[in-house]
Amino acid sequence: MQHSKVLYEKGIIKNRKMLTQSQYENYNLVCRLEHIKTLYSSIKAICFSDFGTLQASEDGLLITVEQGKSIQATLFIAPAFFAEFKVDGSPSFSVKMNVLAECLSLFGLSDCSIKILYKGEGAPLLLLLEPHDDDQVSTECSIKTTNVEEPMEYDLDANSSSLNTIFMRGPDLSNIFHELDKAADEFEFTISPLKPHFKITTLGVMQAESSVEVAKSSDMVILFNCRATTVARYKSQQIKLTNKAMQVASKVAIKTDASGLLEMHFMMQCDDQEEMYVRFFITPLLEVDGN
Amino acid sequence: MTICEKLRNSSVTECAAIKLCQSNWSLAAMKFRAKMLDVLYMREFQAIAATLAKLAKDCVMIVAQERMHFIVNEEHCSTSSPLVWVSIASKDYFPEYQMTPARPEQEFIVLVMSAMHLSRSLAVLRSGSSSSVHSCKLNLKQIQFPCISVIASVVSPNSSEPREVVHDVPVTVIPASDWASFMLPKVPNTQIVLGVPSLRLLRSLIDKLKNISPSLIFHGSTAGELNLVAESEMATITTRFSRLLLHKPDQGQSGAGAETSEPEISCSVDTRKASAFFNALQLPNEEIMIGIDSERCICLQLDIRSNVVLHSILPAVCV
Repeated sequence: MQHSKVLYEKGIIKNRKMLTQSQYENYNLVCRLEHIKTLYSSIKAICFSDFGTLQASEDGLLITVEQGKSIQATLFIAPAFFAEFKVDGSPSFSVKMNVLAECLSLFGLSDCSIKILYKGEGAPLLLLLEPHDDDQVSTECSIKTTNVEEPMEYDLDANSSSLNTIFMRGPDLSNIFHELDKAADEFEFTISPLKPHFKITTLGVMQAESSVEVAKSSDMVILFNCRATTVARYKSQQIKLTNKAMQVASKVAIKTDASGLLEMHFMMQCDDQEEMYVRFFITPLLEVDGN
Repeated sequence: MTICEKLRNSSVTECAAIKLCQSNWSLAAMKFRAKMLDVLYMREFQAIAATLAKLAKDCVMIVAQERMHFIVNEEHCSTSSPLVWVSIASKDYFPEYQMTPARPEQEFIVLVMSAMHLSRSLAVLRSGSSSSVHSCKLNLKQIQFPCISVIASVVSPNSSEPREVVHDVPVTVIPASDWASFMLPKVPNTQIVLGVPSLRLLRSLIDKLKNISPSLIFHGSTAGELNLVAESEMATITTRFSRLLLHKPDQGQSGAGAETSEPEISCSVDTRKASAFFNALQLPNEEIMIGIDSERCICLQLDIRSNVVLHSILPAVCV
């Protein structure tokens, strides 16, 4: 915050709260990335709610977005992904997601390096952006933070006898979803050890149905691990929220068990950079065998 | 358009609105014809027209002996485009250039036309590898209505003979009595002028900032720094452009003693208006001159080439 402070003293910047708080000596969180592209597309992929929660710890940085109590997306960035990662304690706070996304895209398609800084409760989140192709330009963004709302905790029991896991190639799965009935109301996921192995059925308003089946021997499938048949239905709108993540993901993991809770992992990778993950939890619709 | 282009020597008449000739001018006396030959200049001229078309519905064309000017006015209603004008040294672009005003004592021919029609009529000049343009003529003429006839001579790769693509762009001729309201704006006095070489970054930056804050502060210093500040409830974004070339304010205009006294000047403008200007630019130039008149206006100047200059004024807003 070198130049913002100077501009505040000159009266150009009026909002004192947006400068770092002087009651804090040090930054709680300092991380730096050389390339912003993966981070930006990952943030864009989970930008479906107003506010997101950032939580940092020794294990990395988590950004969680929820809508209602039925869908949750978490962006997970390991410390190794960053060129620099220092965290003191476990700071957590909420920010407006669209403001964060706008700030990351200030320089459009030009690649930038980014430094993320946070001092502590009440202090704004600072982003320092520097485009690679022009060293005369630098941006400081300070984004208002609010108190954190603890995200819900979802979990699939790893030891459950019904835990089914499929790993698929991202672009292929994205194509499948692209071809599904866009007007459908509900999606039904069937994962079974026998044929059809993996089946997605769409159920439309007018009782229209369509389905896609993927055999476990398909080239799209990297790993197929299924012990018991699981069938669950999900709201298509919620499944569609994973679209942006799916479009850029190189690999996707689909996990579910008898409870029907759907866990999807998207591996986001650009060029040769380290990967980061986006995880979605989607709760199933209740009656499966009602009609 | 494409079908017509296929017909050799075809003629396309584009007339969305037939504007009837107005009272006290005589087209018989008034003459204007100009011809461009250089591909690069033709592309630039097309880019200028395309820029104007993005900014406003109508543009004013002022034809003088030495220069040709285009003006698009600030639109006060729905859109938020700023005032933009372009001055072209006629000798640079047009090896053949002839203009005769309605009366010998007059200096100008003043026309108003649809910026979109003008831009569309020149679109053929942009064509890259598919066909090459030999020349482009502009010609003021009277058919049922006054119009600028844009005649491009185009050669397709599979034909050796050129064909002519003709667009007649309807114009309204402004009589000398009304010229006062159509005159070229003056570049305002600015305390500081900085050359920003990264127009592409500036454009995407301002485009994003319009979603953050309705007003944008330009803060320049004689040390060659320009800060752009957008503030809102949710965020404060400060972008610094450093090591910029400082262009001294024009001594002749600022007058004696009006030497830059303050080392730092700032002005806040409507972010949407600034964004409208930068998004409209269709020219390949990478450097733009930003002049700041303290809390009055931002004056933008794009030197397309030494004698072809695009200007814009963004008025100050209160924060």
